[in-house]
Amino acid sequence: MSVLAPSRFFFEDVELHGIRETPAITVTEAHVALYSGVTGDDPPGHGAAPSLLPLCLTTGLGWRIPQPPLAVLAFMGVEWHVDAPLAVGDTIHSRSKTAVKRAMREGGVIIEERAVINQRGETVQHGKFTFLVARRPAPAAAQGDSA
Amino acid sequence: MADPRRFFDDIEVGEAYESPGRTVTETDIVLFAGLSGDYNVLHTDAEFMKQSIFGERIAHGLLGLSIQAGLFTRATQAYATLAFVGLRWKFKGPIKIGDTIRLRAKVTAKKETSKPDRGLVTVERVVVNQRGEVVQEGETDLMVERRRP
Repeated sequence: MSVLAPSRFFFEDVELHGIRETPAITVTEAHVALYSGVTGDDPPGHGAAPSLLPLCLTTGLGWRIPQPPLAVLAFMGVEWHVDAPLAVGDTIHSRSKTAVKRAMREGGVIIEERAVINQRGETVQHGKFTFLVARRPAPAAAQGDSA
Repeated sequence: MADPRRFFDDIEVGEAYESPGRTVTETDIVLFAGLSGDYNVLHTDAEFMKQSIFGERIAHGLLGLSIQAGLFTRATQAYATLAFVGLRWKFKGPIKIGDTIRLRAKVTAKKETSKPDRGLVTVERVVVNQRGEVVQEGETDLMVERRRP
């Protein structure tokens, strides 16, 4: 019996200008309480979600699309804009597009444009993520083979 | 009673703050993975990470970003913030379990807007660890209320 290693999505697998849309999540009081407790950031009150919470939730939404996880070597940076407030009870999903794919000596840089969209189709936050992603490893060398 | 918050008019370009330290724990990382749904092996698989360049699990970059937002509230008297507008951020190095991070922040710009009741404040932020190494840095833009005339 052979056991498959978990597959990963490498630099070569990323499609330039490819668009991915995630399933959605409803933002609850529990998210706000957990977020405020972990980070120590003051909750904004009046049923509003903390500004950085949707940004954090969008990273998890990306794991729910049927694609192996990106082989991220390093999360290099993020540029982010808050376009509209988000309230507890709102349901968000995200839409991402690979805007830049640049090969480097070690791996490659991927810049992904991402928008967080509410249940009315309005963009509430958007920005760009920059990742350093691993290249697909070369096929195993013949050395060590008994042949 | 006077409003204790600091308004756009009170904040000066060049003023700087340093937060208390905060030790980032395994619990913080586990809670953040559960909250965000980001279970990347970088943050959750101790055995896999032994083989990595980091040698152990590291905190999510966005956990560091979120913790510094909390540290900012402990570094200075609260701003009369109306909205968080945006950020430009770089992740420079790993935050490992047991590392103690603190925030150094400085107001770099103030800009009036088309609305007379508010203004935009840009804060430059540097997150350093216990060895003084910069682990994250960037700028945030905050919309802050003006004092009523």
